[in-house]
Amino acid sequence: MSAIMNNDAHERARNLIAWAGPEALSGADRAWLAAHVETCASCRVFAENARETIHGLRAIPIAAERSLVAATQMKVRRRALELQRDRERLWLVSISCTAVTLCALLSAVALWRGFEWLGALAGLSPLIWQVGFVVFCVTPSLVAGVLLLLRGTHLADHTGYYEG
Amino acid sequence: MNATACYFENAMAQESTEIARGLRRRDPDLLDRLIEQYQHRLLRYLMYLTGRRELAEDLFQETWIRVLERGHQFNDKYAFSTWLFTVARNLAIDHMRSKQPASLDGLLNDGEAAFDVPATGQASAFDLSLRREQNEHIAAGMEHLPAEYREALVLRFQEGMTLEEIASVARVPLGTVKSRIYRGLSALEPWLKGAPL
Repeated sequence: MSAIMNNDAHERARNLIAWAGPEALSGADRAWLAAHVETCASCRVFAENARETIHGLRAIPIAAERSLVAATQMKVRRRALELQRDRERLWLVSISCTAVTLCALLSAVALWRGFEWLGALAGLSPLIWQVGFVVFCVTPSLVAGVLLLLRGTHLADHTGYYEG
Repeated sequence: MNATACYFENAMAQESTEIARGLRRRDPDLLDRLIEQYQHRLLRYLMYLTGRRELAEDLFQETWIRVLERGHQFNDKYAFSTWLFTVARNLAIDHMRSKQPASLDGLLNDGEAAFDVPATGQASAFDLSLRREQNEHIAAGMEHLPAEYREALVLRFQEGMTLEEIASVARVPLGTVKSRIYRGLSALEPWLKGAPL
């Protein structure tokens, strides 16, 4: 029983030394550790070794070279500029999309009224001028889609080079 | 005592808030300042993590680019250094994964790892020479430690992070951090006495 308690005490002492470092203990732990280390030679050696190891670790000089720092700062600035340009471009695209959507909505309403008026003028049934309206609206995008498919534009990147 | 602690806590919180605000704006001046401020600490951490200076320098640059791109993810409730080291650590792991499916285990022990311990240059006294020799032993010992232990030791004793902060960076439970530090220090013990170089 005593041996187990002693082992626990050693383990606790070594853990306290290792986790906190010799300088950062406080209060009850520090008092307990000091009392233990005073009576335990092996833990005293461990504490001394830990102190020297930690000192050694802190003393190993690894420094960044000035050129690395300067190159990193330049890369970061360049990337920041790219990101800013991307953001501005995205902003422009968003505004354009909004404007186009608004225009399309307004045009659709105006066209609807126009087709309705023409239908009434020509004495056509509502179904006919409504179909005419749909064909009128859809035809340009259908034609553009067919033309793009024929040219294979959707397969090419910006330089016209085919990926697959 | 409490007032002093409170003052420092408030100052740190304020600094973190300012950094978070600057990172959201992608302020290049702030990033310049941060790079200057953390240059040695980050490079040292990466060198211990990877064991190779060239790789550490590449990751150093990538880390700052990532900080710029993902700056909005920084939570000002935490210290900036904790987040910075987490970003660097993730990049190091990504780098290793791109070579072989591994975590930190893949970082090191490939024979070419070497920590330079440059000459102090100023003094040639016996004590300095002895100290330098001891540092060389410890540096050599670090090379032979598993990367997880090395990381824990560097963050604890070189960066002065708390155990909780290390757990946050390494994404492991507190108990694991404690065990790594204890085992790391114990493993370095023979090297302190000049174990096989």
